Amino acid sequence: MTDTMGTTTVLRTPAEEALLKRYPAEKASLPGAPAVADLRDGAFAAFEKAGLPHRRVEAWKYTDLRANLRTIAAPAGPPDHERVRALPPAVPGDGARRLVVANGRLVPELSDLGGLEEGVTIGSLAEALTHADAEVLAALRPIPEAADNIALSVNTAFMTDGVVVRVADDVALARPIEITHVIDGETAAATAVRNVFLIGNGASATLIETTEATYAAAHQTNIVSVVTLGDEAQVDHIRLQLDPLEAVSLTTLTVEIGAKARFETFNAALGAALARAQVYARFNGAGSTGAFRGATLLSGRRHADTTLVVTHDAEGCESRELYKAVIDDEAKSVFQGRINVPAHAQKTDARMMTASLLLSEGAEAYAKPELEIFADDVQCGHGATCGALDDDLLFYMLARGIPKSEAEKLLIIAYLGEAIDEVHNEAVRDMLIHRIEDWLEKRVG
Amino acid sequence: MLEIKNLHARIDDREILKGLDLTVNPGEVHAIMGPNGAGKSTLSYILAGKDDYEVTEGEVLLNGVNILEMEPNERATAGLFLAFQYPIEIPGVASMTFLRAALNAHRKARGEGDITTPDFMRLIKDTAAKLNISPEMLKRPVNVGFSGGEKKRNEVMQMALLQPSFAILDETDSGLDIDALKVVADGVNALRSPDRSFVVITHYQRLLNYIVPDFVHVLSAGRIVASGGKELALDLEKNGYAGYVQDAA
Repeated sequence: MTDTMGTTTVLRTPAEEALLKRYPAEKASLPGAPAVADLRDGAFAAFEKAGLPHRRVEAWKYTDLRANLRTIAAPAGPPDHERVRALPPAVPGDGARRLVVANGRLVPELSDLGGLEEGVTIGSLAEALTHADAEVLAALRPIPEAADNIALSVNTAFMTDGVVVRVADDVALARPIEITHVIDGETAAATAVRNVFLIGNGASATLIETTEATYAAAHQTNIVSVVTLGDEAQVDHIRLQLDPLEAVSLTTLTVEIGAKARFETFNAALGAALARAQVYARFNGAGSTGAFRGATLLSGRRHADTTLVVTHDAEGCESRELYKAVIDDEAKSVFQGRINVPAHAQKTDARMMTASLLLSEGAEAYAKPELEIFADDVQCGHGATCGALDDDLLFYMLARGIPKSEAEKLLIIAYLGEAIDEVHNEAVRDMLIHRIEDWLEKRVG
Repeated sequence: MLEIKNLHARIDDREILKGLDLTVNPGEVHAIMGPNGAGKSTLSYILAGKDDYEVTEGEVLLNGVNILEMEPNERATAGLFLAFQYPIEIPGVASMTFLRAALNAHRKARGEGDITTPDFMRLIKDTAAKLNISPEMLKRPVNVGFSGGEKKRNEVMQMALLQPSFAILDETDSGLDIDALKVVADGVNALRSPDRSFVVITHYQRLLNYIVPDFVHVLSAGRIVASGGKELALDLEKNGYAGYVQDAA
């Protein structure tokens, strides 16, 4: 906007105004040594300059946060421990060590912190920030792929707590670690959580993250998880986004992968009115493999965005990217995937695939797969498909007496199965199939 | 029994069936032969309820009920079965899941509860064995990776499981070698009974040596132009369709 004097002033949305007011008011109470405060100030300044990302910012073209985030919820207050405790486990039977981050803070009383395996430490991020833990501080600096990401900057400015998990060299975690992010409260509340997972050379771990709430409310979660894998480390990461259907969910996963390591992540986007799951990964050492997969289920007027950047910054790494969405009603699914292969990353093998299944006339899918390749001895490919259920398949099933709703259910589960079947954890696979079945029953019913 | 009366049907602007009449009584096997493009497969799809076709006139009664208003799955549970000329591969859907869903849909239509797992396993094992279908085949997704012959045997196995009162076999012999043809024919013959009837669509008389029909019809340009006993098939094999096609014109 231009005023009469010819100078420009930036027009702020109410949500931006609210965030601008919140930071000065809250910063003194946010945890951290002076070095952390500087980091927060820098991140907040980046937000102040850019505002909320909007459609003219390429990375946010299909998910205009400025237009869609109308208000900013109040910071979540203290949770009711009994209500949180009463939540049924998201993944029954996974045998995981459950850590509860409720209303933005790790709650030791609700977390399974006893009998830690030798070589494993679990602590709170707030504590690490207060002590200016050098390793944790280093992990807070965004990797280049995420450097100008405003969702990440806002998280850095406002992060209250989270978990810090360290697994020493050559330690294999027998039980998965499951971080249950929960918001407790009847009215909309906001959280900013940062988790740090430092997995040593030759170590292995399964990390499950869930996001849920005790009440259906328009909560706003901003969760950033940072994972570093040493050489020959193996990590399976699973994110189950089960937020209320009114919620806004911003999640970011940044991963740095050492040499000869294996990293796999799976994102299930099952909740939230507006969701964006960001994954930024770098192969820093040669000869590693990575798999990035996800399944999205959307109905109503919900919107889900998967944004993925994978940089092969070393020779001879292999990555597989597979994201599948099922979209009903007037919902909208976005996939942005980018694989970077710099000149020195010879012998890279990368395959990216995204597919969208549209169940209604009003459903929308946007796919933007990109490859940026400077090396000349690589195998890279990408593909995107979008369509309805195959009439010939449906007719064959109907001709055997199977009712249409059940035939569709079997076909949709088969369609998502291509991604889900790759999840190593059986309890998670079972849970996902149950959730999908529930979703499909509700859709029909 | 099945009664087709004055059936007219079209796909897009092209009329394919032009007043087809056919009555199949319980226990009878009828063969329909005819040149390419006569409307044989169209007839099978229309009976099964594929919605690419528009029925413009006529009716089809299965045991006295007009099935043209019914959904394909309702026709199936009412007792109609189509053995597809080209059985469909369904990636990601396990054969056993598919068979069980089909079987339970039929049971539900009869007012019965779901089949128990042991009963289901026993039924599948017995039925599959009769059609040379190995347990390994049934571990795969529906028809995925099956040879042409395996797919056709799988169709007949499904028919045996679902026990229809009326079955249409659409070129079930195409793509089969003589051994596979015998297996399929034995499977069909085992299902012949006084209260079950069949329409067998084929190009070649060969199949009819194994599945011996009570009646043979010539379908040409959307209508039945000649009917007779099994000797009609031999005549067609010898002299071709030329004489009948002219009759239709």
